[in-house]
Amino acid sequence: MNKKLTIAVSGINAVDNPGPGTGIIRALKESSLDVRTIGLAYDTLEPGIYLDDIVDKTYIMPYPSVSKEIFLERIAYIHSKEKIDVIISALDAELPVFIDIKNQLEIMGIKMLIPNKEMFKVRDKSHLKSLGEKIGINIPEYKICTSFEDLYKAIEILDFPVMIKGPFYEAKKASSMLEAEKQFRLISAKWGFPIIVQKFIVAEEYNVVGCGIGDGNNIGLFAMKKMTRTSIGKVWNAVSIKNEKLIELTKKMVSELKWCGGFEFEVMFEPEEQEFYLIEINPRFPAWVYFASACGINLPERMVQYLTNIEYDSDSDYKSGKLMIRYTTEIIKDISDFEQITINGELSKPKIK
Amino acid sequence: MNLNRLHSLAISESGFIFDPTTGNSFTSNETGKYILDSLISGLDEEGIIDKIFQEFSASKIEIENDYNDFMQRLRLYHLVENN
Repeated sequence: MNKKLTIAVSGINAVDNPGPGTGIIRALKESSLDVRTIGLAYDTLEPGIYLDDIVDKTYIMPYPSVSKEIFLERIAYIHSKEKIDVIISALDAELPVFIDIKNQLEIMGIKMLIPNKEMFKVRDKSHLKSLGEKIGINIPEYKICTSFEDLYKAIEILDFPVMIKGPFYEAKKASSMLEAEKQFRLISAKWGFPIIVQKFIVAEEYNVVGCGIGDGNNIGLFAMKKMTRTSIGKVWNAVSIKNEKLIELTKKMVSELKWCGGFEFEVMFEPEEQEFYLIEINPRFPAWVYFASACGINLPERMVQYLTNIEYDSDSDYKSGKLMIRYTTEIIKDISDFEQITINGELSKPKIK
Repeated sequence: MNLNRLHSLAISESGFIFDPTTGNSFTSNETGKYILDSLISGLDEEGIIDKIFQEFSASKIEIENDYNDFMQRLRLYHLVENN
């Protein structure tokens, strides 16, 4: 029997634009590992804080943009209480800070499987063109914009409709200049610059979740087709698929970048040309990672096993034709839980009497 | 005609068809399923039309039209490709 491991996971904001944290934690709790799970939250109303059947304790974190030192200090405090073995970062916006402090965390005894600065930069939405050429996948034509002037020039070249995309999150379709200006303003105010203006292609969305270990190999891949999406483009229903070409392209990406950590390879399939287009590579597990785990490719479990020198599987053998149905539900908690997390910045799972 | 994609399809008795490569699903009526099964088993156009003519009460012209319509659908969904 392996020792009990303490795993801290961020992104427990299971809201309409869901973070991956609760899916990761659920996958860990259902795995062969004996884990204590620590949620790292940025807001006192993140649902994961209150999901005490899977999250054992939650701590409020300072925003990564505040200061690297304060961020590290908070983790050191949590570590002094919890003795964290592994942190699984699940938010794009915090990843650059984790990349910077990875060595300090390692010295403290906390392990992480994350990309380095260079990998993080190469998969950035604004650098996809050269990556696409290297791995042999089409990239929809796009322009990088930091001003309205850039936006107008981009639309002149790309023509409507276009996708207006933020540097980290959010993508909206625009079919007129009025819509494009509105989305440009809204997305840049929320996520900053650069804004990517991309040619809109009529195609179906496919995603692969996987985990690279930094030497060009992966420890599991799982592909799905999005069947339905929410108004903000998040998957709601999906079906597992087996597509050799897509898996080969994903393997090439992992090998080319020597990718380290969880990732989501997002592509569109154009049915007329029968071609894949790379849309983006997210540098962490996606919110639907539990789908892969439930189909036998438990990537959070494998990641933790890899990091803690426990034997792990690395196959990608799963069945196609499995459906993921997302649904909404409510949990009812006492206001005292909200009080505790607000006043103390931490909340424990209630003790069984 | 390239029929390779047909061999990877999951076809249920009810006529529900799942393509594991693309994740697309389709429904087919009894005749459509009959044509699909026959294509997969290796029958050619003439053989399939004859077989349907023997088993279903319809004229040859009607069957040929249905067969051609169905094949057009399969091409549209890229389930069969012209060589």
